[in-house]
Amino acid sequence: MPQNTKLDLLQGTLDLLVLQTLAAMGPLHGYGIARRIEESSGDEVLLNQGTIYASLVRLQQRQWIAAEWGVSDHNRRAKFYTITRLGRKRLTAETSYWQRLTTVIGRVLAPAEGGES
Amino acid sequence: MTLRELCCRIAGLLRRQDPDADLDVEISSHLELAKARYLHRGMSEAEARRLAALEFGSLATARENVWEQRRMPGIASLVQDLQYAARGVRKSPGFAFVTVATLALGIGLCSLVYSGLGTGILRPLPGVPDPDRLALALAPVPYHWFESYRDQGKTAWTAAAFIPSVPFAVAIEGATPERITGALVSPEYFSTLRVRPMLGRFFDPRIETAGTSPVAVVTEHFWRTRLNADPHAIGRTLRVNGRAVPIVGVGSRDFFGAAPGSFGVPDIFIPATADPSIAPELHDDPLHRTARPEFFVLLRLAPRTTMAAAQARLDVATRALNKGPERRGLSMQLISASALVPLPKAARVALATFYGVLVFTILGLTCANLGGLLLARGAARGREFAIRLSIGAGRARLVRQLLTESAILAAAGGLAGFVAANAISSLVLRTQSASNPLIEIMNPGPDLGAVLFAFAISAVAAAGFGLLPALAVTRLDLMDAMKANFTAGMHRYRRLGLRNAFVVCQMAAATMLVLIMGFFVVGAKYGSRTEPGFDTAPISFFSVDPARDGLTRGESAAVLRSLPERLARLPGVDGVSLAGRPLFGNADPTTPVSVVSVTRPVALEQVGSRFFATLGATVLRGADFENRDLPSGDNSREVVPAAINQAAATELFGDRDPLGRRIRQGDRTFQVSAVVRYAPRAMLMGRPIPTVFVPLTAKDLEHGAAEGTTVVVRARTQVGIAELRRELAAIDSRLTLFHPQTLPEYLAESDRLGSKIAAFYSPVGVFGLLLACLGLAGVTAHTVQRRSKEIGIRMALGAQRSQVLRLVMGEGAVMVAAGTALGFAAATAFVRVLSAGSVQMAQLIGPVASNPALTVGVPAFLVAFAAIACYVPARRAATIDPLAALRED
Repeated sequence: MPQNTKLDLLQGTLDLLVLQTLAAMGPLHGYGIARRIEESSGDEVLLNQGTIYASLVRLQQRQWIAAEWGVSDHNRRAKFYTITRLGRKRLTAETSYWQRLTTVIGRVLAPAEGGES
Repeated sequence: MTLRELCCRIAGLLRRQDPDADLDVEISSHLELAKARYLHRGMSEAEARRLAALEFGSLATARENVWEQRRMPGIASLVQDLQYAARGVRKSPGFAFVTVATLALGIGLCSLVYSGLGTGILRPLPGVPDPDRLALALAPVPYHWFESYRDQGKTAWTAAAFIPSVPFAVAIEGATPERITGALVSPEYFSTLRVRPMLGRFFDPRIETAGTSPVAVVTEHFWRTRLNADPHAIGRTLRVNGRAVPIVGVGSRDFFGAAPGSFGVPDIFIPATADPSIAPELHDDPLHRTARPEFFVLLRLAPRTTMAAAQARLDVATRALNKGPERRGLSMQLISASALVPLPKAARVALATFYGVLVFTILGLTCANLGGLLLARGAARGREFAIRLSIGAGRARLVRQLLTESAILAAAGGLAGFVAANAISSLVLRTQSASNPLIEIMNPGPDLGAVLFAFAISAVAAAGFGLLPALAVTRLDLMDAMKANFTAGMHRYRRLGLRNAFVVCQMAAATMLVLIMGFFVVGAKYGSRTEPGFDTAPISFFSVDPARDGLTRGESAAVLRSLPERLARLPGVDGVSLAGRPLFGNADPTTPVSVVSVTRPVALEQVGSRFFATLGATVLRGADFENRDLPSGDNSREVVPAAINQAAATELFGDRDPLGRRIRQGDRTFQVSAVVRYAPRAMLMGRPIPTVFVPLTAKDLEHGAAEGTTVVVRARTQVGIAELRRELAAIDSRLTLFHPQTLPEYLAESDRLGSKIAAFYSPVGVFGLLLACLGLAGVTAHTVQRRSKEIGIRMALGAQRSQVLRLVMGEGAVMVAAGTALGFAAATAFVRVLSAGSVQMAQLIGPVASNPALTVGVPAFLVAFAAIACYVPARRAATIDPLAALRED
């Protein structure tokens, strides 16, 4: 798939994806989270993997995730992130918000397309 | 940003450990893991690394994003700004010192003027709730007038009457009596003021009815200093004027009575309705007799009554009373009694304006100094700004940098200003007498509000003037600005003339400040000086008050009649006479007298026989008073002989011969029997006051005046106080002698008021001068430094030292001249307006407003100082090494 057809991430959605990934997969290091997001999106998301570190710091500051040093599969030191209870609550709230938003946007866009066809 | 996030960021700031190392480990294992995945797919090592890096994106951006998330926004650059600004300030200590000193002086002076002078007089009456509703009638009235005001104005006000400053001989349980100043008050006094007692009770109209035996209320000051703060003071007995009087109440700590700034602070209150034998002021039944206008009326206006409405009602009541048998023709002016010193509105406005202009001038001077300094410095840094802009600094960043610098200077200046305010205030306070409780109320030290106000204004000025150069530079062509440090930016300023305008403002404000202070200081010293018109050296005097010593009226009159003769027999004594009060220094022309249809205010003095001979005052026409002249005082139709001084003769009769002519005062008639050379000056007044002398009557000798009867002694050699006391005791053992003084001592003391005023205003003038000098020297020095290259070129092209000197001095001279002229005009205008607005100011300033020592001396001094301030840096400019100046890019 050519690069320019990949989806740009909307502002703020990366945090949501990180939370969702951690909730689904349990403790992961930064690379693991990045890969998982790419994989689960079917490699459709354009992600500079470096950008998730700022997101991880932000989520830690908000205490939605916690971090702990551990050892990766390849025997390297890595930070493993876990979602916290606060994070799960937040994820629930954000997910339902996101779904409402997409439904509404979908509803708004659908008749317009129908009208054109 | 959530609150929690903010906390983490702040915590991150404080944490010393390095989170960057952690991040690096994390990123490198990330890359390692990504590489491993590609290796796993069978790629070469180099290809795997390339793809991993590509996938990760920019390392730098990732790091930056994490930093951005971690730190406080702007903090790092703020710290940079602070460090940079601090370094800049350290590197030019002269500039920093002058700026901080300017701020310190400006703030200190404003606080002094505001707290010491302005609010001292205008400060609300302490210890009294709602002082705004209090009003005072300016002239004293008979008691029954007060009663009719009280009863007629029931819906508009509650009223009280009082005689202020009444002396009492007070003894505490057998100790020797002391003279304590108190007040005789109507029983409504305390309830009208709405004050509550600290101990016991205050007077009550239902208890203190006419003729009851006297009781006393004392102040907290009296209770603390004389009764040793006795908690059981209520019920203790004082001997007041020889009678036992129980204490029924003690006032609260901050209660000083009504209008303490005008009447003094009373220490004891006695109901005016008490048995008249308690005080000679109450003899002859003043509560019912109409002829004794001695009571001041204090009103507390009802919530909806305005001052104007109250005045109108009072006028109606006064008109009715004036139709009564005594036909006084008094008009009653009501003034607000909300302040320590009740003043008519016009005088209050004049005072407030005066202090306002003073504070404004000081602030203006401070701001002009700051502006000049900061502009000069900013201009010198034009090149620096241009370089920073060209290598990519944003305008906003530059502005923030300059603001930070101004803030550092302002903070240091503010701190120094607070210290200076304290120091200046305590310096000035120490010169004032601390014994007066009123000084304690009036001068509580530096005023925090004033300090903050002055600081805020100067800080805003510092920020504004600090920014101006940066804003100007950012509009410039960068290349031009970088090429030379005295071109682009400078020309802009010179055209605008902004910096020059500051120098002119500085000079103007300094001239104005010093001139006005000069008028006050010289006026106060000059105006209060008394030159009586006769040799004061042999004269001394003291007071006696037989009525308060417990003598009967008959005894009192007999003692006072025989006293002069008895004392005159003492060795060394040339003559003895009596006077109603110590009259030599301070007399105010407050008694209206009429000749035919002309009415003029004069000072009316009561004196004994051979008064002028005793003083040594020349009788120009007619004859001195003799014993046979003394009227009985019983009959108001009696024509009383009167002596007048030259000022009164001119005022009342012009060129006509005054001898034998008649003067009317109320219902009394005087006939001029003598013209004397006698020239007392009123407090703070430059000219001799018209004075009319009338003989003490037999009645006066019976009850004595409030201040006691003054015994004037003329002696070739100093007569000892002990000797006089012995002689008095021989006449009557109950007599006490008080206030013994020689006339020269007394006059020196009355001059001291002028010195006090001078002591108050001199520091303002001196520090103002210092402020002006600081600013002027600072700005000139900076100008020369800035122009060193231009001067270097001129000298390289052959300019002589003298030419350089002339160039630098010439520019300064134009500005100094303009500023001085402006300041002089402003000061003159201000003094005119002030004199037109207030009689006191006119009297104070009038005699010195054209004094050449001030009008020529002050500007000349300032110009001379400015010349020095210009000369020092100009000389430095002339010694610039042209080569060095040119090399210095």
